[in-house]
Amino acid sequence: MRQLIARRLLQTIPMLFFVSIVCFAMIKMAPGDPVLNFVTPSMHADDIERVRHNLGLDQPAYVQYFHWLKECLTGNLGYSLVNHKPVLGQILERLPATAGLVGISIALAVLLAIPLGLLAGAYRNRWVDKLVNLLAYIGISIPLFWLGILFMYFFALKLGLLPSMGMRTIGKDSALDMIKHGILPCSVLTISFLSSYVRYIRSSTIGQLKEDYVQIQYAFGSNQTAILFRHVTKHVLLPVITLLGLSMAELVAGAIVTETVFTWPGIGSLTVTAAKGMDYPIIMGVTLFSSLMLMLGNLAADLLYSVADPRIKQTR
Amino acid sequence: MIRKRKSLSVVIVLAVLTLVISACGGNAANNNSAANSNKGSNVTNTGTANSGDASTDASAPKDGGNLIVAVGADPDVLNPIYAGDRVSLTIDQALYAPLFQINNGKKTYYLAESLTPSADNLTYTLKLKSGLTWHDGQPLTADDVVFTFDKILDKNQNSFFRDYLVFGDKQVQVTKVDDLTVEFKLPQVNPAFEATLVQLTPIPKHVFENETDIQKSTKNAAPVGSGPFKFKEYKTGEYVTLERFDNYFEGKPHLDSITYRVAKDTNAANLALQNGEINVKYLDPQDVSTIEGTGKFDILPYAEGRLSYLAFNENSDINVLKKKEVRQAIGYALNRDEVIQAAYASADYADPAHSILTPDTLYHTNDVPTYDNDVAKAKELLQSAGVSNLKLRFIVTSGNKVQEAISLYVQQKLKDIGIDVELQSLDASAFGAKAYDPKATDFDLFVGGYIMGSDPDAYSVLFTTNGLYNSFHYGNAEADGLWKQGSTEADTTKRGDVYKKIQEIIAGDAAIYPIGYTKTIVAFDKQFGGVDEAVLKPVVIFEDPSKLYLK
Repeated sequence: MRQLIARRLLQTIPMLFFVSIVCFAMIKMAPGDPVLNFVTPSMHADDIERVRHNLGLDQPAYVQYFHWLKECLTGNLGYSLVNHKPVLGQILERLPATAGLVGISIALAVLLAIPLGLLAGAYRNRWVDKLVNLLAYIGISIPLFWLGILFMYFFALKLGLLPSMGMRTIGKDSALDMIKHGILPCSVLTISFLSSYVRYIRSSTIGQLKEDYVQIQYAFGSNQTAILFRHVTKHVLLPVITLLGLSMAELVAGAIVTETVFTWPGIGSLTVTAAKGMDYPIIMGVTLFSSLMLMLGNLAADLLYSVADPRIKQTR
Repeated sequence: MIRKRKSLSVVIVLAVLTLVISACGGNAANNNSAANSNKGSNVTNTGTANSGDASTDASAPKDGGNLIVAVGADPDVLNPIYAGDRVSLTIDQALYAPLFQINNGKKTYYLAESLTPSADNLTYTLKLKSGLTWHDGQPLTADDVVFTFDKILDKNQNSFFRDYLVFGDKQVQVTKVDDLTVEFKLPQVNPAFEATLVQLTPIPKHVFENETDIQKSTKNAAPVGSGPFKFKEYKTGEYVTLERFDNYFEGKPHLDSITYRVAKDTNAANLALQNGEINVKYLDPQDVSTIEGTGKFDILPYAEGRLSYLAFNENSDINVLKKKEVRQAIGYALNRDEVIQAAYASADYADPAHSILTPDTLYHTNDVPTYDNDVAKAKELLQSAGVSNLKLRFIVTSGNKVQEAISLYVQQKLKDIGIDVELQSLDASAFGAKAYDPKATDFDLFVGGYIMGSDPDAYSVLFTTNGLYNSFHYGNAEADGLWKQGSTEADTTKRGDVYKKIQEIIAGDAAIYPIGYTKTIVAFDKQFGGVDEAVLKPVVIFEDPSKLYLK
């Protein structure tokens, strides 16, 4: 087992290397020039070149990449080209806001999705199933920014129950205040995660109900509820592990749309700003960070899987 | 938000009162503050009866209150020698006092007491007020001013203001005469020098003198300024709060604090505005009626010194836009009032433009040739130029409502004179890369805008042959000579004649089709007052936020 973990961890290194090359190449191929962040119409051409040179942006792309890589290996992710603050510091500064928002939303979504998915699967094509399906479809198809604005309109403006945006009241630093600000963005995100999780769990339930062990339980005369919650649930939870593993990336990549609409100070809104300003050190940093989390999440999911389901043996 | 976001990426950064080349439609334009206050009063009068008028001071200003101003993004860097983005400039305006400001050619002194040019216009003597202090209590003296200019001129510090102080290969010499006096020696006569000084705000020497790279300095995270409000806290991605500086030399400000709240999504920010979570915010023309309907806000449109224009790419590979008759014909096919209506919803938000200089720029005249609204003439010109079956490619930033509206209007009108227009929608950075690429030949038309400030010399980069920002690829030898002459002409009458002539030549050549001098629209909470005294200003909203108060 230990060997397995070590090997999987080692595998992440070439993977990250590959991801960084692809990401860098894509940024360099995209139109736009980060030097424009520094330029005013009064500047002479040679002064623009001086700035370009100072930033190392006058060198060929591969040289820039290796320079970035060298710094990265020493733990320096560089400085933003827009606000000139260290990349790593900015990511870490915004990580708690994103991890809190996305983490809670995923947890809520999973907790709600399991019973709903089980019910829908067990009562396939009955009204419960149709209702759950309908809601899931609506949840998947509604654009998040629209849902966010709608929530804001009703709960903040019309009903006056909650603040519309931001993470805290200006100058206030209390947990309660932050929770109040988090309710709307969290609800929006939960709805979006929930909608896809529910359908996943529903189809998994349908599959499990056809299995022999369920048929035997029926034959033994166990009632439906007992079968569903005592036996089927365990099996249905297995794919949830995979879902959670995949969600690890979102925990750090942030929820771009929701964070932007609600001005939630997380990594998602950092990424958007960086993309607009061709701020490639930030884009690289966030991409690397979320790729790493995705790989670790997958690893954790695989390990949990073999614990939860001994039938699945990890081969060396 | 979409619009603001686009401008950010396309923009070749702005320096206030000066230089913005923005490809997209913000809003802005010009007029003087008298017109604004009238507007404000009208709105107030038609609003609820009991709320006072923003422009009268029947009731004495009270002290206290926190004003919340919406901003579209985090500030890039709260250091005036690097601030180029709208948000940093806005916050710096309250945090750092300028030396002086110029409104309609008249100077208002802040840190400076006087500025005196020598007889030969090569030396400027700046006198500071006495007893000035930084927010941390240290005295603000000539040493700080000299330090600031040294750092701007330092090639390793990457301040883009450096170019304002360098002529050819010679620099402006800045020397301290005594504690309150600084002397600037120019290598050549530069009538735009005062306009340059307006933008260069001193930074504290005692804070930055040991920093090797000021741009990356951690000291920028807790800035020490000299303005009416001092730094209190910055929550990344959320807000920046400034609090009252009691020793401000112009007198203690009325407000306790000003918070600049980041609000990235326009629709969401408008809801927050209606919900009382924001007091001041830019509005798009189409949102005005909703916000006005609440009765809680004064709607203040004011000139931003910006020209919105239709550009012709003379380099285009179809090779006919080089002919001025074709450009004139396109102008004749359009109706300027209709373009403004289509783009800005109302004539209130843009004044018809004829000249390349905005009305706040010295020597502006709108009395120049204009080609407008004459389809018969347009057809005739095209025929005499021997052009038929013309197909033009119009590039548009996708999601930019102003550009989209104008392009559709132009497409429809040019059909009437037999020109086919093909619209090509590009995302903001692709648009910027193409429109401002000196070598791009595969498009013909685009809509752009610029804010170039109060001195006409700044416009030369846009219109001289091979000028750095001449994205129209326009050239006229006579105008080139005049631009050169104007940049060093000290005699104001002669200089005025030069720039009048330039405006005529370029308008005659139809180098661009000027659309409108656009206006910024700001919603201002009626609970607050003092807008007139604070002076509405392009880009930074308030020139002197110390004058704002809670009613």
